[in-house]
Amino acid sequence: MRVKEMSRSWKLWVGGPVLAFLVLIPFLELQGGYLQTLGFLTFLYITMSTAWNILGGYAGQTSFGHATFYGLGAYTTCILTLRGIPALLTIPVAGMIASLYGLLWGYPCLRLRGQYFAIATIGVGEATRLLMLNLDDLIKNNSLLKGFLQKGVLTGGATGLMLPTPPDIQAYATAFYYGVMGLMFFALFVSWRVKNGKFGLGLFAINMDMDAAETVGVNTTRYKILALMLSAFLVGISGSIYAQYVFYIDPQTVFGFPMSIAMVLMPIIGGIGTLIGPVLGAVFYIVVQDRILTANLNLGLIKLSLSSLHLLVYGGLLVLIILFEPKGLLGVHHRFNIWWNKRKRRSLAATEKA
Amino acid sequence: MAILLEGRKVSRNFGGLAALLNVNFQVRSGEIVGLIGPNGAGKTTLFRCITGVHPPTFGRILFKGEDISKLMPHHICVMGITNTHQVVKPFPEMTVLDNVRVGAFFGKGWVRGEVKDATQEALRVLEFTGLTSKANFLARNLTLPDRKRLEVARALATRPELLLLDEVVAGLNPTEVDRMIRLIQQLRESGITIFMVEHVMRAVLSVSDRLIVLNFGEKIAEGPPDEVARNPQVIEAYLGKNYASGKSHYA
Repeated sequence: MRVKEMSRSWKLWVGGPVLAFLVLIPFLELQGGYLQTLGFLTFLYITMSTAWNILGGYAGQTSFGHATFYGLGAYTTCILTLRGIPALLTIPVAGMIASLYGLLWGYPCLRLRGQYFAIATIGVGEATRLLMLNLDDLIKNNSLLKGFLQKGVLTGGATGLMLPTPPDIQAYATAFYYGVMGLMFFALFVSWRVKNGKFGLGLFAINMDMDAAETVGVNTTRYKILALMLSAFLVGISGSIYAQYVFYIDPQTVFGFPMSIAMVLMPIIGGIGTLIGPVLGAVFYIVVQDRILTANLNLGLIKLSLSSLHLLVYGGLLVLIILFEPKGLLGVHHRFNIWWNKRKRRSLAATEKA
Repeated sequence: MAILLEGRKVSRNFGGLAALLNVNFQVRSGEIVGLIGPNGAGKTTLFRCITGVHPPTFGRILFKGEDISKLMPHHICVMGITNTHQVVKPFPEMTVLDNVRVGAFFGKGWVRGEVKDATQEALRVLEFTGLTSKANFLARNLTLPDRKRLEVARALATRPELLLLDEVVAGLNPTEVDRMIRLIQQLRESGITIFMVEHVMRAVLSVSDRLIVLNFGEKIAEGPPDEVARNPQVIEAYLGKNYASGKSHYA
């Protein structure tokens, strides 16, 4: 009991100031707004990581196709905004469209189990990216669908779409910083509710033994699809916000396979199937990416840019995690706790003896 | 007694193999019915047909007069039929309590689940099955007898009217067998109808009101335990033709 109280106060002492710092970042204007951008990205990635974790961590359905939701969210917002609909209104629409797309491919794909589902999602992800790349050409000559084009453009093909920039970009960015922070807390709240409720219990049951879950009354098909749709909704909103923040999207960035991989990596690094794991993983992912992308290795004769090496770091890390600590950073933390308690007990016993 | 479960010409093929062929059976409410037969006779297949895991290829299964042969397993569970698995299938990374809570949440009559109520129901079932002291253990850390109990507990939490027990006694030592038999009798007293597959004759003969015997996918005998145990066809199925006709070298 005492240990629990202590750990709670410890969390309060660290969490409070960190939260205060995060809230104050836009006012501090550290490093010319650089930290603010980093914070924005971190919150966004935490949201996505948490969302992926609902399907991949709780229900155990590893999806490599989550970039489809991210991209679809981004494209929905851009296409609608360019047609005069207020950008903020497009956010829930983006979430819903991503969710419906999840229903569309989740229904057939979720009949597959384990790695077969994972492979199918890779296919879905790539097919969607290629579709978005070529959609304009496909509907250009179709008399029915031509109406969706605006100045001959719907998705803009490989060039992508651009949004007009607002006049006061500083205030705009700050608003989005807080907005996405709220979104992150919303995602965490959803994840927490799911984890501790009936829905989550059903998902965990599916994760551990699908047949047993079915025989004790869990509608496994429906639960998996609902988890995918919920996950897709949050990722879709993230995509929408990303598009509004950077004003420019193209299929390669938002529908790209690296995006899907990022969403798989973050929860696995942090601790899959937990509430906090995806958060840790996302923070780690962003920090590593940020450090490495800007780092240069100077070996005297050869100068190496490390920017292309960040995937190597994740790859190596993934191998280590799967081999030694399947619970990720949280697992490492747990092991440290056990070691620490043991040491404390031993020193306590030693002093008692003396 | 009213007929709770009825099978009419239930057949199940796996490719060219007829695992079950025209099996007719009835289970009345309040009964304990034993299902026996040599290995590969189709006992577990029959259970899987009933629970919807492997729906029958031909024939119909009626539960309280309703055709359930084309329903999904979860639907059948919610109607009031639950089974335990021959090879135990706990949710390994969950606590014992959570395992049972899954049953309580998703079983019969829990459309709107309150966490509190499900927990209470789960605790009640744990008490009944004697697992209370292990409620917070992870299921993967349980011993085999406890896992078998957990199977029963999780199934019970779904509040079945008909419980299908697939070899819950197999692999237990004599003391544990007695405990399990007592549990099964308590279940019947609490109003649950039981249909059980069992190889341990001591267990199945002592609790069953009636036995159904399968061999090579067909029903070969049915009746009270002592009568079935003397049936020459049954003896032949278990021990061979020579033994049945008294010409065995070993008899």
